[in-house]
Amino acid sequence: MNQHLSSEQIARWMAGERTPAEEQHARQCPECGAELARMEAALSLFRGSVRAWSEQSIAQPQAAWKPAPVAHRWGLQPMRWAVACVVVLMLAAIPLYRNASEKQRQAELAKADAALLEQVDAEISRAVPATMEPLAKLAAWDSMPANQGDGRTKQKGGLVQ
Amino acid sequence: MMDAMRSATSELEDFDAVVQLHRARVFRFALASLRDRDAAETLTQDCFLRAYHGRDRFRGDARLTTWLMQIAVNLVRDHVRNRRLQFWKRTQSSSVDFEAASERILDRDSSPEARAVANEQLRAVWSATERLPGRQRTVFLLRFVEDMDLLEIAAATGMKEGTVKVHLFRALQAVRARIGSRV
Repeated sequence: MNQHLSSEQIARWMAGERTPAEEQHARQCPECGAELARMEAALSLFRGSVRAWSEQSIAQPQAAWKPAPVAHRWGLQPMRWAVACVVVLMLAAIPLYRNASEKQRQAELAKADAALLEQVDAEISRAVPATMEPLAKLAAWDSMPANQGDGRTKQKGGLVQ
Repeated sequence: MMDAMRSATSELEDFDAVVQLHRARVFRFALASLRDRDAAETLTQDCFLRAYHGRDRFRGDARLTTWLMQIAVNLVRDHVRNRRLQFWKRTQSSSVDFEAASERILDRDSSPEARAVANEQLRAVWSATERLPGRQRTVFLLRFVEDMDLLEIAAATGMKEGTVKVHLFRALQAVRARIGSRV
């Protein structure tokens, strides 16, 4: 094998696949040997770099797979408690507000009902339809006793002498 | 075989120990894939939550590590798919973090020139992995960061071994092209 290792052969070598002929060539060819060493060094540096970065970045071990107990998580965060209190107060205020507005609505309904009943009573108590009311008044005036009425003195059949 | 399966399933009985043992690995894979510390932390928690809830379904026919990495691979894939735009934004902003961490691993005894070359190579690999398509990046990280063999990667990703090889070769070629090939 006289030719230099190809790009694909070097990639295969790095992945762990190599033939005896390639191994022999790498031992005899300083250029290919240096290229393989350079790649190996770069990959080794990369591995070390990732591991160093990871070790530096990783947080302290904890029971990551378990959800933290609720009391513990809330105990450390007073802001959450404050928000929870506000929410509870708001929820508690809703029924009070609803009661007050309900009472007001009931009162208005009762008022309207009373007005309606009054109007119905008035209608029922009429002896004649509204359009005939003037005639009915005249008739009533005619049959009205002398001591009643609007103060004017009169008698059936003629004026009082 | 049955003993191995029984032993794998019994590992899950002490789930705290499972988390202690495998958390760093899952987090590392998530961090390298997403390049976002918070997202990696969330994903790691999610991974163990899913494993915990699904522990009854683990029959021990694969290694526990492979099973956990399978969950992590799926979560990373879903995360990238759902948040593609944010992913690239975060990638750029977090580049400073890994560069700072990388400084620690560069040999302080070597010459400034050698350190500069090593630093340049490192940047090139990071940059290349950033540009790899999702599957190639996953396979590359599992192989060269997590030291998983092809069969384990196939089990974790749900791909056939031949497909894993193809993705790995392509990823390596892309990385090498980024570093600057001699041949």
